[in-house]
Amino acid sequence: MNDLKYIPIIKQTRTIVFNITLYALAIATLMPFIWMVLTSFKDMNELFSYPPTWFPHEFHFENFKNAFEAAPFGRYYLNSIFVAITVTIGQLFTCSLAAYAFARIKFWGREVLFFIFLGTMMIPYHVTMIPSFMVLYWLGWVDSYKALIVPGLASAFGTFLLRQFFLTIPQDLEDAAYMDGCSRFGVLWRIIVPLAKPALATLAIFTFMGVFNDFIWALIVINSEQLQTVQLGLAVFRDRYVTEWDLLMAGSVTATLPILIIFFFAQKYFIKGITLSGLKG
Amino acid sequence: MGQAYKHKRIGYKKKNGFNALLFLSPTLIIFTTFILFPVIFSFYLSFHKWNMFSSVRSFVGLDNYVRLFKDGEFWLVLKNTFIYTLGTVPLNMAFALAVAYFLNKKVFGKKFLRTAFFAPVIISPVAAAVIWRWLYDPNFGFLNYFLSWFGVRSINWLNDPTAAMFALIIMGVWKTFGFNMVLFTAGLQGIPETYYEAAEIDGATRWSRFWKITLPLLAPTTFFITIISIIGSFQVFDIVYVLTSGGPLGSTKVYVFYLYEWAFKFFEMGYASAAAYILFAILFVLTLIQVKYLRSKVYEAV
Amino acid sequence: MKCAKIVICILTFIFSSILNFQCQKQKEKVDNDIEITFWHSFVSSTIPALNNLIAKFESENPNIRIKAQYIPSGDALIQKLISAVQSETAPDISWIHADYLSELVQANAIYKMRHFIDSENGLTEEDINDIYPPLLHYASWRDTLYSMPLEATNLALLYNKDMLYEVGLDSSRPPQTWDELHAYAKRLTVDRDNDGKFDQVGFFVPIYPASGPLGAWMVWQWIPFLWQAGGYVIDQNQSQVLYNSSSGIQALTFWQALFNMVDISTFTVDYQVAFAAKRLAMALDGPWNLPRYNKLLRNLDWAIAPLPEGPEKRVTIVAGEYLAIFKQSRYPQEAWQFIKWVIQPENQAFWSIRSGYLPMRRSVLNIPEFKDYMKSNKNFAVFVKQMEYGQSQRSIDYHGIAITRHIADAIEKATIGKMDSREALDEAANKSNTLLNSVQEDLKK
Repeated sequence: MNDLKYIPIIKQTRTIVFNITLYALAIATLMPFIWMVLTSFKDMNELFSYPPTWFPHEFHFENFKNAFEAAPFGRYYLNSIFVAITVTIGQLFTCSLAAYAFARIKFWGREVLFFIFLGTMMIPYHVTMIPSFMVLYWLGWVDSYKALIVPGLASAFGTFLLRQFFLTIPQDLEDAAYMDGCSRFGVLWRIIVPLAKPALATLAIFTFMGVFNDFIWALIVINSEQLQTVQLGLAVFRDRYVTEWDLLMAGSVTATLPILIIFFFAQKYFIKGITLSGLKG
Repeated sequence: MGQAYKHKRIGYKKKNGFNALLFLSPTLIIFTTFILFPVIFSFYLSFHKWNMFSSVRSFVGLDNYVRLFKDGEFWLVLKNTFIYTLGTVPLNMAFALAVAYFLNKKVFGKKFLRTAFFAPVIISPVAAAVIWRWLYDPNFGFLNYFLSWFGVRSINWLNDPTAAMFALIIMGVWKTFGFNMVLFTAGLQGIPETYYEAAEIDGATRWSRFWKITLPLLAPTTFFITIISIIGSFQVFDIVYVLTSGGPLGSTKVYVFYLYEWAFKFFEMGYASAAAYILFAILFVLTLIQVKYLRSKVYEAV
Repeated sequence: MKCAKIVICILTFIFSSILNFQCQKQKEKVDNDIEITFWHSFVSSTIPALNNLIAKFESENPNIRIKAQYIPSGDALIQKLISAVQSETAPDISWIHADYLSELVQANAIYKMRHFIDSENGLTEEDINDIYPPLLHYASWRDTLYSMPLEATNLALLYNKDMLYEVGLDSSRPPQTWDELHAYAKRLTVDRDNDGKFDQVGFFVPIYPASGPLGAWMVWQWIPFLWQAGGYVIDQNQSQVLYNSSSGIQALTFWQALFNMVDISTFTVDYQVAFAAKRLAMALDGPWNLPRYNKLLRNLDWAIAPLPEGPEKRVTIVAGEYLAIFKQSRYPQEAWQFIKWVIQPENQAFWSIRSGYLPMRRSVLNIPEFKDYMKSNKNFAVFVKQMEYGQSQRSIDYHGIAITRHIADAIEKATIGKMDSREALDEAANKSNTLLNSVQEDLKK
């Protein structure tokens, strides 16, 4: 019998070892990030002393103030968040529907269509960027919120992600629901979606982040000051030849923090949904 | 039970087609307009010469493709990209799976740890690369200083052709493994505890539980992550652009960097589009291989 | 199914708010002034000066308003211009660079400057002659002027006086010749604690990856050294390149010598940061950084010196920022009015003093305000005086970018790749000449 592993001490040690390793790894992973945050408080002259200093000699909170004032960041944040939220909700909606179709409905041309979806992910966006822009131009949507939001409402990646997850859900539950007269949409909404919460939450985070961090698309479709996003705002601190480190670091910290906080709190959705016990046969 | 079920299948094909269309329509409309059409247009462009400023596009047939195969640099960037992918994808996935798996166990502060591992994914590639350039600085960067504690000689990270690829791979893994970790976590959450409990009662060891339960049930997720990671690492660009800009003597010049240069430095969008389609062909073949391989291994899960 | 209804309601609400935002935006535009859009890449520290300039213009030209928009320099500007030209939303005026000047011209996207210069509201010959000639070379393609310089820049030497003093050099006498530069650099590259790592580097040789965004900048900084050794990039009728001559080899070998002084090559953080941290004694630099340095380098005693003189002559390289007027503009005359106003001597003085950029014409030096400014800003004065012997790289009509790339490859190979400079330059020249020959053949057809 493998009773050895049930001895408390060994179990304890194993737990402690896991914890220590994970924490060490986490600190190592966070190191560049920590450096960025600490640097955002430093004076330019102190920036690169050697040996490298971690803590600033003095805390220069005005870096944040200066960064914020270099451009109307308040408005930029509002824009970024508005666009990101809208696209996220939209994508969750369209991708769930499409993923359900790919996962559960056997229709003619399903495999081919799915491969087409996959295929579009294999083309680097740099070559499709200008043609996409031209589509927008033909629609007359240049320099509008529509330009930032609508193209992002469909996603091959999102559809793929959700499809994979839906495939792991046993069909028994759905069959039972059909028996009770539930429609397809009802099944999707009442059974699959609750079970797929981890995947939906994951997609939501990725989409939000992707849209929030987008730079190049916003750059070419937006001209008006009122529609600019945070990433466009940050670009003013770093051009080809000059990097305004203090402001760039301060700006980047404030751009990254909201998403980190959202992620931290959104984690409860990653935790298991309804258990599937009691469902045999 | 079987009888009632068969009833529902009458009119199966027609109903399914219509249903499918209904479910797919929101995505399809947007997808076709904003994603598929530009992709097809790019294919069209790959047979032309276009400098993007003018509206004149001259047809050149297969000329772009022929030039690509004749260009020595094309093969160089292909090689570099393969190296980068081989360096990052396995490492990335192994790391991500290990971390996701252990974070499912008894650990304090899971939320904090997951956030910590995900943080690199969130930070913009430009800001991250700028920070790493400092870390990698041969004279004043933190990494060499850290290594000097152990008596290791300073490494010329970004200015030495061999070291630069390592530097890029390290940064690449750092930047993306959190992404895969989250995906694996979602996948792991989908495996019911009951299976593990049953296995444990039957006396299965931790290791065999992992191999016989976790991995197989994780197959769709793994399949997804493998494809996404390979596609992603083949298309790596942002971090390369800022960290090494194609590296000392072209040693870290990756495929999309080459493509980008031809599009926006030499203003030959047709040539760049042709390069994009060759990349597409490569990735498509790779994906097909993976699909066949997985289909044969795990029958139903994919 | 009521959940579906809720979802649809939310989406409808979102879409209608998008449309609302749109409507609001349109309303703001209704008024009588003519609005000129002006795209630029001035960094945040120059923006206050730009705002002052625009305010001055608007007060002197009441019916015209300038809407300045920042576009990050380099590739972002290129991509934005491409999309703009394709979608007929081109700005009235924009910064442009020689990289894509020929593409813009061939796409018939910008006006010839002569169109405006020769018109009623144009410039006199005197005005044209007052502009530093190298600037006009750079703004032309195939001898036709397509853009107007807004300001000038050139290359000089930035150095840390304290560090010179510490190693026993005369801190008020920066290096004047190549030999001196080499000697100073050697003295200033110091490993104090003998741990095999240099605590400070004497001179930063600007080596960047050839294929990256800074590759062309590296070449720009090397060309004056080529000229100083008596060489040229390309011959008069642009049929073959000349940079692999003995002058070229001399210039590249000189860079090699400076580069090899530091065992673990150069910085990967930008040199300005190393300079600010007192880890770097000397570097090549331009006037665009002066405002930043004045603000930030407060605990350093730094100064600007003229570029050291080469074996054959004293010369520096000149560049600047150029403005072009787009044919899609609805108000080309007003756009020209802004440009014409900006190049007036008083306004050049105004701009120059506030932004740190150099004026693009000589007569500005006679303006009292400017003279005073030069007196109290010695570093700035050094740059201005250098304009007298500055030259610019005439734009290469065809394959200019590729040829620049070849040179960049050669420089990178000779320094980081430790290749022999003759070999590196010859290899590059072969590639360049092949391209140039194909141009000749195409032209014959």
